[in-house]
Amino acid sequence: MTAATATAAHVRNETRLLLREPAALIFGAVLPLAAIIVMAVIPAAREANPDFGGFSVVQVYQPTIVLFATSVLGLTVMPAILGGYRQQGILRRLRTTPAPAGALLAALFIVIAAVGLLVSALLVVVPAIAGAGLPANLGWFVLAAVLSLLAFLGLGTVLASVVPSPAAASGIGNVVAAIMWFASGLWLPRVAFPDWLVTLTDLTPGGAATQAMLNATLGVPPSGEPFVVLAVWTALAAALAVRTFRWE
Amino acid sequence: MALIDVTGLRKSYGSREVLRGIDLQVDEGEIVGVLGPNGSGKTTAVECIGGLRTRDGGSVRVAGMDPADDPRALRETLGMQLQQCRLPNRIRVGEALEVYSAFYANPRPASELLERFGLSRHVKQPFGKLSGGQQQRLSIALALIGRPRVAFLDELTTGLDPAARREIWEYLKLLRDEGVTMLLVTHFMEEAAYLCDRVVILEGGRIVASGTPESIAAGAGQQETSFAVDPAVDLDALRLVAGVTSVSVERDRVLVRGDADSPQAVLGALAAAGITARQLRVTSPSLDDAYLTLTREGASR
Repeated sequence: MTAATATAAHVRNETRLLLREPAALIFGAVLPLAAIIVMAVIPAAREANPDFGGFSVVQVYQPTIVLFATSVLGLTVMPAILGGYRQQGILRRLRTTPAPAGALLAALFIVIAAVGLLVSALLVVVPAIAGAGLPANLGWFVLAAVLSLLAFLGLGTVLASVVPSPAAASGIGNVVAAIMWFASGLWLPRVAFPDWLVTLTDLTPGGAATQAMLNATLGVPPSGEPFVVLAVWTALAAALAVRTFRWE
Repeated sequence: MALIDVTGLRKSYGSREVLRGIDLQVDEGEIVGVLGPNGSGKTTAVECIGGLRTRDGGSVRVAGMDPADDPRALRETLGMQLQQCRLPNRIRVGEALEVYSAFYANPRPASELLERFGLSRHVKQPFGKLSGGQQQRLSIALALIGRPRVAFLDELTTGLDPAARREIWEYLKLLRDEGVTMLLVTHFMEEAAYLCDRVVILEGGRIVASGTPESIAAGAGQQETSFAVDPAVDLDALRLVAGVTSVSVERDRVLVRGDADSPQAVLGALAAAGITARQLRVTSPSLDDAYLTLTREGASR
């Protein structure tokens, strides 16, 4: 038995289980996809809008919707699954096997990240097919989306370890996610933020990722800062997740 | 050297001492029962020996390994079935076996375990839809899937109906014949008497008795010799018979309690007086009696 075979078995199994529990994916996958489809079919939303500096509604909101999906998956779906496994003694049971602790964690990361990547890809492709165009710097857009996913998955894992009840962990995850949505401009577009709010939210993973994706969409030359912020959050979350992990 | 070697095992939760120095040696192929009332430290002992809890003192070796180091090889050697451990509700029986078999180097075929534990017809059933007994059977099957040399089974038949319980006992006997060493935590004296070569009785974090089920039963209980009341019997004379501790009349029977040799002595005394005991019955102490006596003593200390 190697860590790889154990991880592969977990990946197969967790994929199966996630597909049988589609309720978990409604917020993180179905809702953002529905939002982008609705936007993409409205012609006016695809046209340049002087209120948004000459960019379309779809272009301005696309990063926000991607961030909505990655934050829900990382901050609420992850703690709900992992916390539930701990509460039901599933982790304790696994501990008696030769499979390393990291195997299940890695598998959950892989499975949820795969869902996040698939959803993010559709959130980019669907508007492109509808004629709203692709982000100008697709590579940077993807990198920001992936980093935000990793940071949120790490933070979700920490939440699952630190908060005893899985319901509370995923509830707190929801609150954190809502703050991320605000930082990403869900209620008020980031282009309309006053300068101080931009500076403040740029330090959150939600704000930094959205800014990096916005820059990529709008063809603004990429700046290093949001990526540094995201990398720091990801590293911090990963270190904390490893330190705080508990079997029971 | 013993396959499981425990000396002076101690564990406290805060200021509460749960284990106050446990010594236990189990040889390869032995089945040892761990008995004791709730809160006596049975589960904690097994979890410390299995490396799921950190001990406060003493030494523990399982197949030469210290569980405190949590060596990977220990998990290949030791299969554990724990209380209050569930599987995800939506995982199917066959899938659970498939996932767990991926963790071990040389797993038992799932089909063998399915058949042994009467789960063949439930391969596609989700864990959450199984009965309590079926869930328990699956849990034991998972503990044995890696062909462990040592298996710890905590309350393995709790919640099972008598027929299912017997089925599992038969399987465990087969495993013993294959040389699997087992530590069984159980509430059922009958189970311990049926399966175990040796039992230890825990009370208040200490081992208060250990030995074969028969020797423990004989050591703590008393033989009871009883027969139908007969006016010719002199009760006072019976009280003087060697080994007899008490003589009483209950309902319409004379009841004589005494040591292991007392029934023979009582019958001898009756025969000498020319009396034939009618409706004679001799009852040996059971492990149940011994258990209750020992744990009551412990509780009153």
